[in-house]
Amino acid sequence: MAVSKDVPLWQQPVPESAEEAAQMEHHRRVRLTLDPVAPVQAQQMIMEPMRRQTLRFYVIFVILFGLVITELITWVYQMWWGLGVTGLTRPTMWAVYIVNFVYFIGIGHAGTFISAALRALKVEYRRPISRAAEIVTVFALATAGTFPIIHLGRSWKFYWLLPYPNERQIWPSYHSPLLWDLTAILTYLSCSILFAYIAMLPDLAMLRDRSTGRWRLFYRILALGWRGSEQEWHNQETALNVFTYAIIPVMFSVHTIVSWDFAMALQPGWHSTVFGPYFVIGALFSGAGAVILALILLKKTLHLDYFLRDEHFNGMGIFLLLLSMAWAYFYFNDYLAPWYGKAPADVVLYNQLSHGYAAPFWYTMLFANIVLPWATLWSRKIRTNLGAMFFIALMVNVGMYIERVIIIPISLGVNELPYDWGRYPLRLPETLITIGAFSLVGFLYILFTRFFPIIPYWEVFEGQIVHKVQRIGKALIPARSEPD
Amino acid sequence: MAEVQLLGLFYQPESVAGALDRLRALGITDDKMTVLSMAPYRPEMLGRPKPKGRVGRIALFGALFGVALGLFLSVGIWLLYPLHQGGQPVVPIPPTLIVLFECTMLGTMWSSFFGMLGENRFPKFRKTIYDPRITEGFIGLAVEADRSLSDNIESIFWDHGAHDIVHDQAAEKTDPKQRAFWLSVGGVLIALTVILGLFVYDIIRIPFPTNMANQESIAYLQGPRLAAPPDAVPVQGPVLIDGQPATDPVPSSPDSIQRGKVLFGYSCQVCHGPNADGKSPIAGFFNPPPADLTSPQVQQLTDQEIYLVITNGFGLMPSEAEVLGREERWDVINYIRTLKK
Repeated sequence: MAVSKDVPLWQQPVPESAEEAAQMEHHRRVRLTLDPVAPVQAQQMIMEPMRRQTLRFYVIFVILFGLVITELITWVYQMWWGLGVTGLTRPTMWAVYIVNFVYFIGIGHAGTFISAALRALKVEYRRPISRAAEIVTVFALATAGTFPIIHLGRSWKFYWLLPYPNERQIWPSYHSPLLWDLTAILTYLSCSILFAYIAMLPDLAMLRDRSTGRWRLFYRILALGWRGSEQEWHNQETALNVFTYAIIPVMFSVHTIVSWDFAMALQPGWHSTVFGPYFVIGALFSGAGAVILALILLKKTLHLDYFLRDEHFNGMGIFLLLLSMAWAYFYFNDYLAPWYGKAPADVVLYNQLSHGYAAPFWYTMLFANIVLPWATLWSRKIRTNLGAMFFIALMVNVGMYIERVIIIPISLGVNELPYDWGRYPLRLPETLITIGAFSLVGFLYILFTRFFPIIPYWEVFEGQIVHKVQRIGKALIPARSEPD
Repeated sequence: MAEVQLLGLFYQPESVAGALDRLRALGITDDKMTVLSMAPYRPEMLGRPKPKGRVGRIALFGALFGVALGLFLSVGIWLLYPLHQGGQPVVPIPPTLIVLFECTMLGTMWSSFFGMLGENRFPKFRKTIYDPRITEGFIGLAVEADRSLSDNIESIFWDHGAHDIVHDQAAEKTDPKQRAFWLSVGGVLIALTVILGLFVYDIIRIPFPTNMANQESIAYLQGPRLAAPPDAVPVQGPVLIDGQPATDPVPSSPDSIQRGKVLFGYSCQVCHGPNADGKSPIAGFFNPPPADLTSPQVQQLTDQEIYLVITNGFGLMPSEAEVLGREERWDVINYIRTLKK
């Protein structure tokens, strides 16, 4: 098989017959890795939306920024007057802030999972979506990290959690799950940022080569002098491999430890041995939903139709369906044992859920997390319909938020002593702070997409080099090959 | 012997592999040639020796450093600050494992990141031969050789279908902007750490009442507390009347003393210290410091007086009524009585 020396790598072979041409055309339409275009053209598609801002962008930008500022002002107000301005009171001393904390940590799980686990398993549809997912992780985790500090009340004392020799002569106690949490989250957040950055170096070099003026200086500094030499690729790959295999267990540990914040207490509804895996699956579930939401919004607003295709939403949809089934399995485990045990406080809590004041929450959760995904996601037509996927992923996130509401304020309202039962009264400050937190993630995300390439182009390019079609009988079949 | 640097740009990996073979025949060794590309081509595709990197080994060392950090955070801190908590031993194994795991992973990943930077000599301050067309998908073959071979190399490049050849006579220039930027980043980080340290170690004190004990506290739905009239006798909880005990005392017995010892460990030891002599790790944070319970001043108090201190609190000591039941307070008193010097 002779290859002409001056034909670019991305040029397609000339089909031998009309029938072969039709098959090739089909593959090009369906698969990104079999539809290569010249890198300059692809890079243009990535950079164009970064540089050209529409009015819609500015409107969204200003709205999100305003909501974030509102959150900060509310936070200062709350610090000034104390946590008494919120609805936190006995017995629900943990409520919306901790719900947000768990929710955003959960969102932060899918990014690394998609990027690391799918990289380890060499799943092809990860290529164009891995960075979009990693960035969801980074910003969601950073936002989650603010909530324990907001919840402190005396937020300026958060550094007391850090172990360093201090004038108070007090060391933090690692007996407490809260400190395991701090250690795990700091590990996960810092390593997720480094992971995303290592994988971004070749793309930063690409932007450096395509930009001029100040932008060029900006990318030249961040690209650290990346040239794409064999040594650089080799070292990058080793580092990515280390991260891939180290960050997956860390990811599992982070949400397991978050679950231990609850499971280590003897609170009805919390003291469960299945909480660790149940939380991890829940985190992946809501996180995969959030990544789907982000991908749909990216595709629609940044016109990334070339990169984000049906195959990617199809793959993510299957992933979401599997996670929904796994979540249902763990939730049933978590539900059944206390239901069977009939401990008095558990019975009261379960009655609240099935026909008490919390019933609307509970049934919405079951519908959004189980009924809706199971009823729809089996169909490829629905998985590749962006409107339907947006709705399902949104509902999954609503359902998972409600799940945390049920675990935290609703469970806390029922304990062993009936005189101490209560319902959490939601108030304005925590509502504003919650809205602000969601806006913060969105705000940072759209800001990021304006400065950095959201598609890891070198991964797509690598995939397009190594993927070809092979003839088996009458059909051209995509040959799967990834160099090890 | 003047060196020259040449960079050929090719479309196909096969052309590069062919050119590499010819260049080797010319006497240029593999370490003088570098392939630059937009995607990671495997060394086998180009017939090149496998690059050697130490990132993996550096990560291993980082893991060991992480283990050491984890051991310090768990075992080290528990030895520095021996606080019994939740009925756990001073150095409990399961929580230690959790902290060890997280720190090991932290060390592994951070060191592999910095290992990658170091092995690639990032950030690079030197301008080396390069062409932006590499990121357009061309494969670059950079050769460093004697000036006399320059024409031979060029003809090999053209033979193998090079798209273009870039010459760089004045290679190895430094990039002042890169260096200035990274040096200033380092400077700002150091300065921030120092400034933070000034506040953290109270070298600069902010006159701001940040401790709960120094602030007025108003409970939920409660108005500001009014000062008591000068002749009022504020009484909350039980008081000493005629030397009568507030509740029936529990007679001292080995069982009661044993219970008292355990309860002391939960509720009192944090401040009064494991030997009840007022020497706890946090004692220095109180003024006046927690009382030495073995001292004559405490031991000469009547049982009823000690009972009221536990019930109502005293000075900076809060009331323990919520955590110790009536009989339990007597158990603690019986235990304290055994500590008399």
